[in-house]
Amino acid sequence: MVKTICSFAGRRSDRLSLLGALACAGTLFAGTAAAQDPAELVVDPPELMLEVGETAQLAATVRDAAGNTLERGVVFFSRARRFVGVNPAGMVEAHRPGEHTLIAMVPREAGAMDRRAEPAVMVQIPVTVPYPPLASVGIAALPGNLYAGTTMRVTAMATDTSGAERKPDFTWSSSDSSVASVSEHGMLMLKGEGSATISVSAESVSGEAAISVKSNPAVRLEVSASETEVRTGDVVRVTAKALDAGGNEVPDYPLQYAVSTRTPDTLVAPGAAAFVEPDGAFVAERPGLHTVVVSGGSITARETIRANPRNIKKDWEILGRGPVRDRHTSDLWVWEGLDGKDYAITGTWGADGHAYFWDVTDPTSIHLVDTVRVDARTVNDVKVSPDGKFAVIGREGASDRRNGLVVLDVSNPTDGVKIIARYDDQLSGGVHNVFVAESHILALSAGRRYDILNAEDPENPYRVGRFELDTPGHGIHDVWVEDGIAWSSNWMDGVVAVDIGGGGQGGAPNNPVMMGSFKYPNGWNHAGFPYRSQSTGKMLVFAGDESFPFGFDPEGKLPDRAAGWVHIAEWDEDGGEGREVARYQVPEAGSHNLWVEDDILYVGYYNGGLRVVDVSGDLRGDLYQQGREIAFFEPADPDGFKPNAPFVWGPQPFKGNIFFSDWNSGLWAVKLVEPETPRNMGEPN
Amino acid sequence: MSSHSTRRLAALLLLLGLGIASFATAEDPQPPRRNYFVYVCAESDDTVHLLRYGPSGFEELDEIAVGSFPTETEGPHGINISPDGRYWFLSIAHGMPFGAVHKYETGTNEWIGDATLGMFPATMDVSPSTGLLYVVNFNLHGDHVPSTISVVETGTMIEVATIDTGVMPHGARMNGKGDRLYSVNMMDDELVEVDAMRFEIARRLYLGTDPHAGMDHGDMGNMDEMRAPVVKPTWATKPSPAGKVYVAGNGDSAIYEIDLEGWKVARRFDAGPGQNPYNLEITSDGGVLVATYKSGKKVGFWDLASGELIAAPETSRRVPHGVVVSDDDRYAIVTLEGVGGEPGTVEVYDIATAQRVSEIDVGKQAGGIIYWKGEP
Repeated sequence: MVKTICSFAGRRSDRLSLLGALACAGTLFAGTAAAQDPAELVVDPPELMLEVGETAQLAATVRDAAGNTLERGVVFFSRARRFVGVNPAGMVEAHRPGEHTLIAMVPREAGAMDRRAEPAVMVQIPVTVPYPPLASVGIAALPGNLYAGTTMRVTAMATDTSGAERKPDFTWSSSDSSVASVSEHGMLMLKGEGSATISVSAESVSGEAAISVKSNPAVRLEVSASETEVRTGDVVRVTAKALDAGGNEVPDYPLQYAVSTRTPDTLVAPGAAAFVEPDGAFVAERPGLHTVVVSGGSITARETIRANPRNIKKDWEILGRGPVRDRHTSDLWVWEGLDGKDYAITGTWGADGHAYFWDVTDPTSIHLVDTVRVDARTVNDVKVSPDGKFAVIGREGASDRRNGLVVLDVSNPTDGVKIIARYDDQLSGGVHNVFVAESHILALSAGRRYDILNAEDPENPYRVGRFELDTPGHGIHDVWVEDGIAWSSNWMDGVVAVDIGGGGQGGAPNNPVMMGSFKYPNGWNHAGFPYRSQSTGKMLVFAGDESFPFGFDPEGKLPDRAAGWVHIAEWDEDGGEGREVARYQVPEAGSHNLWVEDDILYVGYYNGGLRVVDVSGDLRGDLYQQGREIAFFEPADPDGFKPNAPFVWGPQPFKGNIFFSDWNSGLWAVKLVEPETPRNMGEPN
Repeated sequence: MSSHSTRRLAALLLLLGLGIASFATAEDPQPPRRNYFVYVCAESDDTVHLLRYGPSGFEELDEIAVGSFPTETEGPHGINISPDGRYWFLSIAHGMPFGAVHKYETGTNEWIGDATLGMFPATMDVSPSTGLLYVVNFNLHGDHVPSTISVVETGTMIEVATIDTGVMPHGARMNGKGDRLYSVNMMDDELVEVDAMRFEIARRLYLGTDPHAGMDHGDMGNMDEMRAPVVKPTWATKPSPAGKVYVAGNGDSAIYEIDLEGWKVARRFDAGPGQNPYNLEITSDGGVLVATYKSGKKVGFWDLASGELIAAPETSRRVPHGVVVSDDDRYAIVTLEGVGGEPGTVEVYDIATAQRVSEIDVGKQAGGIIYWKGEP
């Protein structure tokens, strides 16, 4: 009887050995060991220290319980193969820095198998690949003029010998602390006139900057605000400058902005009632008197701004419904038909491949006019051509796994919708989203790219172009076209703008040209809506997240919960990139599809219902906190597919009303009405 | 001759005499005394179903919701069990964009961990000699480009290697020793033998009719253009005791018997036009092969000694997909995808009579299936 032990030798042991069979389970078992059974695996060297690019050869010896060497194959692999690799012969090569682990194992013999899926013996080989040493450390450029008594933030940069930027812990020092000193947080405090050298070091490398501190000529600050009485959510531009005794502006004078707030007595414990950003952009989230304090050295100045309640809240009136209670509902599209009637199409999800056509001419009397069924489980997206002649629906879950899209004649839905084309060439992986731009169809393919089809003859669409990112692991979820620019939503790669004929970059449907992108850290980009603000003229990108970090009820009975928000970026039309300036985030819920029209944002916010938000004017900060929310509506249906579980998929404003689809209850039509008592959402009257 | 073999022979003689017919579900004339457990994937419902067929009938013990996005169909496709029966592994086809393999504990069906793999990970198997898991990245819907087989250390759920294989790899079954994996590249018309210890392709066998067959794969720079796949193989079985691997020719509606020693096609069984075999399984003695006929809406039972079709009963629902054989070789359990909103169905066939003896509905597009255990 041999008792075998599951343990690894320490990484600094003279040799790594594992007696017994179990390397990872940490359990003991007893059994009869034949003399030829592998009992020990010795790897030499037992651990490695390699520079990036360096190689080393591992040698393995297998022994039985009596210490006899066995001729047995050894399997090598790396648990971090992109950082350190090992080939079947045990040759190791270091690729990237870090602490890594290689594995060597001896497979069990066929005759010894007792349905345990484990090797006979296994050892771990620690591999340390140190970071390349730093090559340089430097200090970011400082202003040309530095004044005694002022403070500013300084930043340091470091690069290692491989050329990669690093962020080590920096240590700051000054050659003359009577002139300047730097705090551990990188705040440069200029104390007196004179010269000094500021040094920063990391590891054994340092950098420095010579500074010359002048006497401080500033005697006062002059502050002004673009407006002093606004509504919550309005962006006020606070500008300030330092003046000398002669009234001249002092160049390069460092200024800091802060805000103190006073809310009405009826508004208790408001939290942060206002904020001001480093560039002087001020926004009140709560009504009250808010004072922006500008400081520079020992002098300060103030500007007080009154913020009144935004008072934009509206109530709802439910106009009508097209209930779908026996299956999930996906996206919708509403349009005016060629016959002058108004129609809506809704898709279905995880069901039987249906698309429903509704007459919504009278939103108080929505009625089904036709149903189309295709070979699919999900019709996720539905779109109608701008001329109202044809619709396109995407297929997922086709029985033959050739999904693609289906083109429908919707020139007269009342008399029937007809399938006029099926197109699945190179779209078999499922068309999750589509868009119809003039005479072209943009169709997503398997979450990797979109194809552009010419649909001048909608009965015979054909591919003319394609766009796919080349970033590692790229994906795509949606695409929307505005003025000849395709804005796709690409998870980690954010919203990507592509010229397909209107971007001025020479793009065309058969020659899509990437213009730029707006990406953000959480990588949840699911939908994008380009919009030119009517009030400011700025080009904005509204980028919606989709995420389910809370998981979901495995029984399928509880309401689902989503997360994520709408990121709002100002789009640089020359540079082709977005700068995120604001967000709309409903806590404890998650965004889905969105629409912007007349400076109003409509969001299907899943478990947060339908949300309507005022996005007029400049935007900064979290719009949810600023009283910009006009209304929300949670469409609970006790007879819904999942009862009383609002899960709004997508909205569309249309002819003064709002249509939206809800995953659990179908199509809804509502309109905003004046409330009986105007008030800010969440605020007292 | 074992009693099972005797029953099979009798059934074969009977059925050959009667001709091939369709069979309706019949009550099991000899109800099982044991319980048989299988896990089944419902690819369009993102669920896995634990089923038991036994003395009390065919019933669902658990329905496990899988995936992480309730509003995306992520597609559980392949499933397998660790050799010790303690864990089940599930491939999820769709991600953003990569799919993943997930690890669950059998019985409790508790989620243990996952690893992101390639595009559309599908069929898989675990080496009983190392515990390493091999998952083919089917890459079904992308361009026809070579794909990979992922190797996953199941203790840590880390992908430790990828093996370049071919276009649309599918089907993955280990040999008993656990050092060779057999898989097919659907759009290359080839069977591959993977050296599971060195993480590399050991041998390739071209199954098509292209005159350039036998050329080294690496020399075939433009062979995709030259070779239009004909066989479109979709499955490879584990080796039989006689050293044979069986390959489903989904494209040419045939089943290929591959002699591993000679590394050549030994026999070709014509399943008939429009049948399109998809998944295969053999009994432990290599006596009977069971094939799902995806387009034919049938299950084919083949006597491998004679090479004769025993029977091809029609299934109760469209699109047959997966098949497993119970550990006592008594039953073949088959999944049927269905179409659209139809539920998936799992059928039990008595192998000796090639007769369907029970069935149960599960989630939509029932596909991947794995036999877990049989017990009294």
